[in-house]
Amino acid sequence: MSAHATTEPYVPRVETSVIAGRVFKYVLLLAVAALFFVPFIWSITTSFKSIPDSVNVNLIPHPWTTSAWHDIWANYDFKTYIKNSLFLAVTITVLNIVLAGLGGYAFARLRFPGRNVLFALVLLTLMVPDQLRLIPVFVMLTNWHLIATFKGYILISMITATNLFFMRQYFLTIPKDYEEAAKLDGAGYFKTFWRVMLPLALPAIAALTILQFQGTWNDFFWPLIIFGQGSPKLYTVQLGLALLRFNYSTLWPQILAGSLIAITPIFIIFVFFQRYFISGLTTAGVKG
Amino acid sequence: MAAAGDTIGVRTPRRSLLGGRTRESLWGYAFVLVPMAVFGLFFIYPFGYAVYISFYKWGILGKDPTDHTASLHNYSVLLHDPIFHTAIKNTLEYTAGVVPLEMALGLSMALIVNAAIRGKAFFRAAFYFPSIASSVAITTIAIYLLNSDGLLNHLIGSHTPWFSTASSAIWAIVGLNAWTTSGTVMLFYLAALQSIPTDVYEAAAIDNTSAWRTFWKITFPLLRPAHFFVLVIFGIGALKIFDQAYIVSGGSGGPNYATTTAVLYIYREAFASFDFGIAAAAGIVLAAIIFTLTTVQWATIGRTRNL
Repeated sequence: MSAHATTEPYVPRVETSVIAGRVFKYVLLLAVAALFFVPFIWSITTSFKSIPDSVNVNLIPHPWTTSAWHDIWANYDFKTYIKNSLFLAVTITVLNIVLAGLGGYAFARLRFPGRNVLFALVLLTLMVPDQLRLIPVFVMLTNWHLIATFKGYILISMITATNLFFMRQYFLTIPKDYEEAAKLDGAGYFKTFWRVMLPLALPAIAALTILQFQGTWNDFFWPLIIFGQGSPKLYTVQLGLALLRFNYSTLWPQILAGSLIAITPIFIIFVFFQRYFISGLTTAGVKG
Repeated sequence: MAAAGDTIGVRTPRRSLLGGRTRESLWGYAFVLVPMAVFGLFFIYPFGYAVYISFYKWGILGKDPTDHTASLHNYSVLLHDPIFHTAIKNTLEYTAGVVPLEMALGLSMALIVNAAIRGKAFFRAAFYFPSIASSVAITTIAIYLLNSDGLLNHLIGSHTPWFSTASSAIWAIVGLNAWTTSGTVMLFYLAALQSIPTDVYEAAAIDNTSAWRTFWKITFPLLRPAHFFVLVIFGIGALKIFDQAYIVSGGSGGPNYATTTAVLYIYREAFASFDFGIAAAAGIVLAAIIFTLTTVQWATIGRTRNL
């Protein structure tokens, strides 16, 4: 708005009261914004406190120590938890991209008998709440010896109705000319999908990737059900953190250090790909 | 359409023994095969299976071999179980508390970020930030801030351990989740605000309407589809509250069942009492509650031509 002020020879005077009002507004806004990230800053510094110092409310540790970090790294297998979480998040995200892409494309573009009935089933799936399928899914996975295995968790999460619906909505917005051109070139259905349509859906895939990766990384409910009774070797970061929190109760530096380990990877992705978080959520919701 | 490729010099489209339509159908089925198998096996079939399990005595080893006849026994147990009543009450109280709070905060934040201010991207990111953290991590941080010697008590001069006091525990979770999810609500309101055409505001500006009046008379009613969307989506989410209740109580739902939410009750019936029949029945009751409330919302405020 006032960006061109530098090139203008005359800068109009602004009333002092207007400036004061503006300063007040931004101070207030910053104070509100602070409510949202101060707890994180507080957690970071507290994780570098000693135990006796951790019950004090001073922001700056006195003295600084990394003993909490050493403690949890030595006594909890966070290396394994991180490896497990990464493996599951990457595998499940890739499967969701491929399967939601294939299914979404078919429902958006291909004509086949029963398409509408099948799509109604997809919408029905969106409405089945997790706590309703909890018991039957647990019983089925137990019967098939898939409880306490990665396979079991991947099997039930490899495609979600939300993702398929999201990809379908995106494919509907792509003009048909591209496919017709591909068809004229003699490309088959799979090749048209793989070489032409999937690359065109890259913005949707980016949003799906980030939200699904975040969703799997942060998931607590299903890993608790599927791995909770099994060996800690299968634990994800969130399960490891819950275990740490229950065992260490009020050893604040330790449990906050654990929390930061659980948050950091998503934080890094958020900083670099913020707009995909936002576009993904709002398009999935509002257009859906 | 396929004939269009038969011009000279252009590669002929593939021909097959099957007609074009049949080929398209087969590819269609192939593309949706795996997703539909997963949905059928792990979403739609379990819906019926849950109903079946809820009619029997069912333990960790499966159906009780002595129980041959389907009955409503599990439902009658639920009907008379004071802990289940508490769980439903806690869940409804939590939902009634958190959803309006999320909507008010989310809408306020959306209005701030949508206003002509500098650093929009910064404020939007700051408000959204708590939404990205995992429920376990954010709950752990909240427990630290709200413990008896924590920051909040230091500021207000009290020593209440908010999450482990029976009278405040569920409200502390309301506060926690209002803080972490209103950023997401903000994004939905922001998208809706940006879709309101500017000419309605221009008309208001000509009439010299105050900003306050403009908001209540124009913006707020025009946001009706967004209110409905947020109410339904976040209402359903609230009724399924589990992670935070599990983490603050160590999985027990205490103190004195104050954090026993409906889903935590289901979890404990299944994995602490190993009574899958009761757990399945409770899941069906909760699903029925969710379905009823959503239908009521749809029938009362959702029926506009915008939806």
